[in-house]
Amino acid sequence: MLSTLHPLPKLVICCVWVMASILIFDATFQLLAIGAVAAALIVLERRSPLMVVALMVPFALFGFGFLTTSVLFRHESDYALRIARETPFGGTALSAGLVLFLRAIACGMASALFVLTTDPGALVKAMMVSWRLSPRIGYSLFSAMHLTRDMASEAQQMRMARAVRRGRPPRRIPGPLEMASLVVPLLAYAIRRASRTAIAMEARGLGAVPRRTVFAAPRYRPADLVFAVSAVTLLVLAAGIAGSAPNTLSKIVSTCLK
Amino acid sequence: MLDTTTPVASWQDVTVRYPYQPHVSAGPATMAILPGERLLLLGPSGSGKSTLLQTLTGLIPQTVLADVAGTVTLFGQEVGARHPAQWASAVAQLFQNPEQMLCGMTIEDEVAFALENQGLSEPDIRCRVNAALDGVGFSSAQRSRRTTTLSGGEKQIVALAALLAQHARLLVIDEPTAHLAPAAASRLRRLLMAAPATQSIALVDHRLDGMLGLIDRVVTIDGTGRVVDGGEPRGFFRRCRGMLAALGIWVPLAAELDAALAAAGIVLERPPLTMEEAIDELVALPQPQLALALAVSRSFMPRHCFAGRDRGLPGEPVAVLSEVHCAPPFGPVTLRGVSLAIRRGERLAILGPNGAGKTTLGATLAGVLRPRHGRRTGALGGLCLQNPENQFLTATVRDEVLAGLDGAAEHADELLAGWGLAGLGERHPLELSEGQKRRLALAAVTAGPARPLLVLDEPTAGLDAAGEVKLRQRIADLAEQGRAIAIVTHDLDFALRACPRAIIVAEGRILADGPTAELLSDQALLARADLEQPAVMVLGRWLEQGLC
Repeated sequence: MLSTLHPLPKLVICCVWVMASILIFDATFQLLAIGAVAAALIVLERRSPLMVVALMVPFALFGFGFLTTSVLFRHESDYALRIARETPFGGTALSAGLVLFLRAIACGMASALFVLTTDPGALVKAMMVSWRLSPRIGYSLFSAMHLTRDMASEAQQMRMARAVRRGRPPRRIPGPLEMASLVVPLLAYAIRRASRTAIAMEARGLGAVPRRTVFAAPRYRPADLVFAVSAVTLLVLAAGIAGSAPNTLSKIVSTCLK
Repeated sequence: MLDTTTPVASWQDVTVRYPYQPHVSAGPATMAILPGERLLLLGPSGSGKSTLLQTLTGLIPQTVLADVAGTVTLFGQEVGARHPAQWASAVAQLFQNPEQMLCGMTIEDEVAFALENQGLSEPDIRCRVNAALDGVGFSSAQRSRRTTTLSGGEKQIVALAALLAQHARLLVIDEPTAHLAPAAASRLRRLLMAAPATQSIALVDHRLDGMLGLIDRVVTIDGTGRVVDGGEPRGFFRRCRGMLAALGIWVPLAAELDAALAAAGIVLERPPLTMEEAIDELVALPQPQLALALAVSRSFMPRHCFAGRDRGLPGEPVAVLSEVHCAPPFGPVTLRGVSLAIRRGERLAILGPNGAGKTTLGATLAGVLRPRHGRRTGALGGLCLQNPENQFLTATVRDEVLAGLDGAAEHADELLAGWGLAGLGERHPLELSEGQKRRLALAAVTAGPARPLLVLDEPTAGLDAAGEVKLRQRIADLAEQGRAIAIVTHDLDFALRACPRAIIVAEGRILADGPTAELLSDQALLARADLEQPAVMVLGRWLEQGLC
């Protein structure tokens, strides 16, 4: 369902949630944010709960760094913790690490929600239509997206050619040396490919008329408004819950640790 | 009323020289395209055909740097008067490599791109996109597919649909059928045939059979890039067949039969362009001449069709696939349950429609791609990749062949000359024309270390007639030495000439395995695999019926 929404309101809403997660330094709010994103992915997008949990792992590893830093190096991090306390809705010393940990997950999950439910082509088209993104930049982004996919296949072809010349089948997963040796040829390929694409775009009239049409660009629908209003309401509710009992979770955790 | 006298495009004493190149790459060329005319530009690989076409809208020299002398005019205006992009509403171009044409994300976006650039209304674009994609046979369900997931042939079809959707007054088409399966190539020709009479076409192609019905005039360029001759196709191919053969340029099979008949004293009233036309002419001959014509045709067949049942040399197979599932890297399984063995000295053609998984099967057979399921046994084979650019690992043409020759420098020049690459040894491989790149890749792979199996992927794409003859000779020599050769190809005429055995890949599996001539005369099988009977088999079928 989220996949059918217009990419731009979705982008704005996700940015607002990320900003809120940065500004509201409260573990309860971060947990609510994570829960809201996970629920949206599981209920509205029919993603497997296991996949959603797996998605949190890299963000959790990133956030874990904050947690260990604040717990193990509390004295060294005193300045950072003081700054954290001084932020709006700031929390206690021990809770800071926990909040930072949860904030990394909340911000990551809001970004992941956008990425998982948005077609990159539709996003670029929407930006060209609504935000006046130059078609030259828009189509450069299209080509870059193409290139990213093609690079993997190109690298595989290069590995095959080298394997044939060496007389040994390519390894299933390339080693670090092999990877390093592919960097320059792949860079050369990317440059070659980019110049050819630029020529093709020129030959097909990009920039010939001042105002070009954007075909099959996403359109705003009532569902976008419903989504935006619901997401903002949810955000206000979460902030309200967090504000009514500030740092409850942090206090519980602190008590348990003591 | 169509003015048929004022050219839509003309080149007047045009020469092109690329930076840092000592010689002119194309020209001097003086020629014109008239309104509604369909012009075919013929020439050996590297003669500058593509370069000349790119001067037409000023891409050369305005976007691609080069020194251009002479005058190029388009619709009565000097071409430099406008920016190349501003000619796009009047001139639609298709480049040799379809990969170069893809700018959008989905198939629909790709076809719509040039129309968006013209600022057409969205309903108009929708209408044209649907018509173009219907024309090339893409179903509605496929249209939202990303172009990155398409095979090389499918990308070429999309690029063609984009070209046709433009409704431009002049179509400039560079090797449109090089990567297409025969049925798809026929579909394309039919679409081009259906183009309105006001639309002019400038075309470069090596695969002429089936294409010539579309053509009004042929212009020939020699190896140095000069325009040497031209004319209406029927008379031209009869008059200039010898010259074309000497230049290494393709001649339609029907013109070759016409020449063989002429050598026997039979002059057909109307020079044929297709095998069907030749048969119509033969049927109309009086009895004594018909008997002689039948004898000539029977002796003509073996030169273009491997009639034997050669199953390779006795002994163990050099590579065996047992119940293998084949999949491209990072892609889904395309072929399931493949069991295939190839023996020493055997020549095997791998045929099938676009996107059937032939390339994946070839790479799996060579041992450079691991099967997803099942087992491959046998030593690692050599592989000549579909895109020759992927094969080049060194900085000069000479080093590329030397890598294969294990440093035997004294043979490098001889080898390059044999493949028509003399004098190009110090050039970077990527500076060569598409045909020359193909020759270099083939030269390097076939001269390389003596692997028991060689897999050549689309070796004839972009190759001229001289290159094809050289390739066939080399394949025959390698088979004589006991090496097995598997050839992935859309060129059924080449498969017939070069390979006694073929497999047809379609419907996610190997559909048929047997003698090439037998498989390619099975109409039901060919229809099922979206293939078409090669021209020489049309003659073969007529001879069989005649004998009955």
